[in-house]
Amino acid sequence: MAFTLRSVKVPLNSASLEEARGRVFDFFRKACRSIPTIMDIYNLDDVVTKSQLRSIIASEIRKNTHVTNPKVIDLLLFKGMEELNNIVEHAKQRHHIIGQYVLGRQGLAQDLDTKDEGTSDFLKNFYKSNYF
Amino acid sequence: MASSTGLSLKFSPLSTSFKQNKVRGICNVNSVSLPSRGMRLGSLRLRVSCAAKPETVDKVCSIVRKQLALPKDSPVTGESKFSALGADSLDTVEIVMGLEEEFGISVEEESAQHILTVQDAADLIEKLVEQKSA
Repeated sequence: MAFTLRSVKVPLNSASLEEARGRVFDFFRKACRSIPTIMDIYNLDDVVTKSQLRSIIASEIRKNTHVTNPKVIDLLLFKGMEELNNIVEHAKQRHHIIGQYVLGRQGLAQDLDTKDEGTSDFLKNFYKSNYF
Repeated sequence: MASSTGLSLKFSPLSTSFKQNKVRGICNVNSVSLPSRGMRLGSLRLRVSCAAKPETVDKVCSIVRKQLALPKDSPVTGESKFSALGADSLDTVEIVMGLEEEFGISVEEESAQHILTVQDAADLIEKLVEQKSA
């Protein structure tokens, strides 16, 4: 039962922001240490590198840096642990991982279709954002 | 020089015949005793010399630079603190994980909290690599 190894036996109850911060770093370290397993399970070696996955995980964590309530941080950590468990026990599939975590920023550079080769830089920047 | 005299003192019972010519004696002692005491000699030498090898520091600097997206000419030396280079605490943890992957070591949480500068990280890496190979 691989998932029971990671699931939290006692619900998280951080007393202070510092304790929650420590828990976040522990979670991040756990996630980083399971990256080789993930790359092996889903055959991601051709798609991303380990350091890219690490920075993707870090950016996901960084999306919530504005949170100050330890209870909210606990809940976010719980959901993060649940997601990590699902990924590691192969409850997800390769396209889930690629679509949810690898793509989504600018898309994979090597997957640009040939139709995009001819478009101008102006249009590419225009599609990306309003300000360039 | 202090290290060599220390070594000669330690190995004098083994090699009494070499006491006459100290300089040559030391060289011979080194060459003879390396197979048997290679580990101790190596660790002694490491402790006498500087704390971390420059290539380790260089590797750490390159990983830090890549992680923090610093330009090539920004100064990253052994004494630069991670916070001074613009890394927040999550960046520091990520850099430590990158170093773990690069050097194949495993850093404890307590030791990771004391890493403040590039030199600290390089020293810790050296220690862990030594422990792993010993």
